Amino acid sequence: MEFSRAFQSSCILFCFTFLTACGGGSPTVSDTLIYGRGGDANALDPIHTDIGESVKVIVNIFEPLVAYDEETLDLVPGVAESWETSEDGREWTFKLRPNVKFHDETPLNAEAVVFTFERILDPDHPHVHNNIIPYYSSYTQIEKVEAVDDLTVKFTLKQPQATFLANIAMFPSGIVSPTAVKKYGADFTRHPVGTGPFQFVHWKPKQEIVLSRFDDYWGEPAGVKQVVFLPSEESSIRVTQLKRGEIHIADNLPPSEVDGLEKTPGVVVQSTPGINIGYLTMQTRKPPLDKPEVRQAICYAIDRDRLIEVAYAGHAQKAKTMVPPTLWGHSDDVPGREFDLEKAKQLLEEASKKYGFALPLKLELFVMDQPRPYMQQPRQTAIFIKDALEKVGFQIDIITNDIGQHFQRMTRGEHQLGLSGWSADIADPHNFLSTLLHSENINEIGGNNLSQYKNEEVDKLLDAAQFELDQEKRTQLYKQAQRLIYEDAPVLPLVHVPVRIAQRDFVKGYKLHPSSQVRLKSARIAEQ
Amino acid sequence: MLLQRLAQAVVTMLIAVLAIFVAVRVLPANPVIAQFGQHAVPEKIEKEMEERGWNKPLWQQAIAFAGQIAQGNLGESFARPGEKISTRLSQAVPATLELTFAAMLIAIPLGVVVGTIAALWRNSWPDWISMAVALLGVSIPVFFLAICLIMAFPMMPTGSRLPPATFHDLHTEFYFFESLLTGNFQLATTSARHLMLPAIALSTIPLAVVSRVTRNSMLEVFDADYLRTARAKGAGFLRVIARHAFPNASLSVLNIVGFQLGMLLSGAILTETVFNWPGLGRYVVDAIRDYDYSVVQACALVLACIFVTLNLTLDVLFLLLDPRLREGNRS
Repeated sequence: MEFSRAFQSSCILFCFTFLTACGGGSPTVSDTLIYGRGGDANALDPIHTDIGESVKVIVNIFEPLVAYDEETLDLVPGVAESWETSEDGREWTFKLRPNVKFHDETPLNAEAVVFTFERILDPDHPHVHNNIIPYYSSYTQIEKVEAVDDLTVKFTLKQPQATFLANIAMFPSGIVSPTAVKKYGADFTRHPVGTGPFQFVHWKPKQEIVLSRFDDYWGEPAGVKQVVFLPSEESSIRVTQLKRGEIHIADNLPPSEVDGLEKTPGVVVQSTPGINIGYLTMQTRKPPLDKPEVRQAICYAIDRDRLIEVAYAGHAQKAKTMVPPTLWGHSDDVPGREFDLEKAKQLLEEASKKYGFALPLKLELFVMDQPRPYMQQPRQTAIFIKDALEKVGFQIDIITNDIGQHFQRMTRGEHQLGLSGWSADIADPHNFLSTLLHSENINEIGGNNLSQYKNEEVDKLLDAAQFELDQEKRTQLYKQAQRLIYEDAPVLPLVHVPVRIAQRDFVKGYKLHPSSQVRLKSARIAEQ
Repeated sequence: MLLQRLAQAVVTMLIAVLAIFVAVRVLPANPVIAQFGQHAVPEKIEKEMEERGWNKPLWQQAIAFAGQIAQGNLGESFARPGEKISTRLSQAVPATLELTFAAMLIAIPLGVVVGTIAALWRNSWPDWISMAVALLGVSIPVFFLAICLIMAFPMMPTGSRLPPATFHDLHTEFYFFESLLTGNFQLATTSARHLMLPAIALSTIPLAVVSRVTRNSMLEVFDADYLRTARAKGAGFLRVIARHAFPNASLSVLNIVGFQLGMLLSGAILTETVFNWPGLGRYVVDAIRDYDYSVVQACALVLACIFVTLNLTLDVLFLLLDPRLREGNRS
């Protein structure tokens, strides 16, 4: 009896659910921009994250002293309207814009800037509640920051640093409201307050982050009233959502999906060259890869034009050096190793005779299990390379690891060959060459010189370039370094991958930035 | 007997949590380095390890963890600084519960009806069709089905629990049930629309299982003497099914429902991923991916709690429904 009553109730509830589900509709979102992406943020306090999905939100809430130009990689005034440097390049003085307000009405002044940088630099700062400050090492050259007057701030560096200005244009140095940091304590990361064109409204983890237009913004106000960041892990779902208009912009889609969307009515695709590099790293300390001839043979054996067709649906640019051609300091003088099967075979055979190892040569190739912007289809890339190398006398085992394990194992030097890549933090060749190939960056705790490459001459050139303030001279130093690196072949630069997004055609004004920063201030929704 | 079950349940939970505690710590990856990523600085890493007590011996860490749990403190997420695990769980668990119950609401009644029909017309076309549907339900990948559903129902929303930027004044995370109970029918409708496709996707496996179990149990009961007696005494067809056959067949169905419920609560990961459902399954998977020790531990605790409570509830239900078990208890 009890059961049949429960059964009846269940049926009624079920029918109600079904009926209600079939009616109704979503509210209209005419002045709300919905940005669909692959994942959620992890923290919104600029100093405590290096996750791309967090950065997309942060750059719309916070502003650094210096910013990137709307369309180029040039540095332009941010909340500082001007700056000057001392003769020796150690002192930098910034003049702040007057009448800039944080979202909580606190005025932006020199004290707020000092407070922001002290939070990054002082490990025992009373208003830092987490030891993880991923970009800490980018700011260690700063000796002190002081307020000269209400709108003037002076930075003193331990030694002149060419990348200083670019470093303080990065998102971690977005100026935070001291009032809000003190008010929210450890919770500031969930209640971010900056001076940007959008202010934080709410964050439901894994569901949405909502920002609204900041009406007291010092510059041109944002074009939409509200922005919603919506995470959908499955790219096919983002594609469906975009086609149906449930989201207005979809990023981080596989190349073939973007190609399909390009033909969809009502959808447009934007593309811009990315400052990134996808490369094959070769562990130079492990035999037989410690022999340059073997590494060179590998470079000649891989047909990168074909690779771009197979693994990038044709949407990538063949790389010549580790510095993308869109960035200053790129060297076009190195010959590059064009695909040459015979030359690869010959080099390998000669090496086998010279060093006495038997062919086929067994090697392990490490690959990550998840796509990255510079390696959109890692599995296909790995299989392509395996096939290519096995044609010239190698025998390749593919070792797949999840992304965290992949980079940790390679940082420890466990690999022989490995797929890797880099997206620039700052638009400076230092961020590619020193980070990826300077011998100082060989260590087990996140060192990015995965090839464990050490060439003292290269180190010297890179150091000199870092502390040289004249960009012309720096360019020459980086070009020399690229030539030496090319000859040693510790890495094979594979591709530079453009950033592509798909959006509804009624979204106007939003332009993809070459830095991949998602700045939504200019976006607006046209009459439909 | 109930007390004995309770004691067993507590021991099971302790073992489960201890197992997870050890398992996450023997993983080769160092979670601190994983969080610092490409910008790791040795001094900061050491400081973090020390503050979290992760360079202490394992037994000391276990005691600290137990003490923390005893105080009802689940701690903070490591991969998401400043995020209280209890807050996230209070959002994730209701999301999963609501989805699971919606799926079961589809699976149980439909499964029982299909199973009963199959039993009544055994070895004829209704039985074959139900068998084919059950086979399809079990074997079709949830992921594939979800995509098919999304394609087939273009008018239904595809992701999330509510439309973007919907602000409401609900006090719990049970969007559908709370809005229904408080008479906010517009929100209940919206929430039900979002619930519909993931619930259908999730219901296929339990639907198939329930229908097959119902069919087999019903067949067993149909052959029993008491049913023949009931029929001989002139009981009508529906009365025989509803009063005599089903209540007796329902024990095996209940058993399998309990089991399926447990499976769904912990295993709705794929459905949650496809439909962007912010539930427990996704929370655990993300935590494992991010080496977020504290979250993995807390979720293991919650999942162990759910399973143990579910088993206990089933035991109690069996005691209530089956007089033979009560007899056994008394003797």
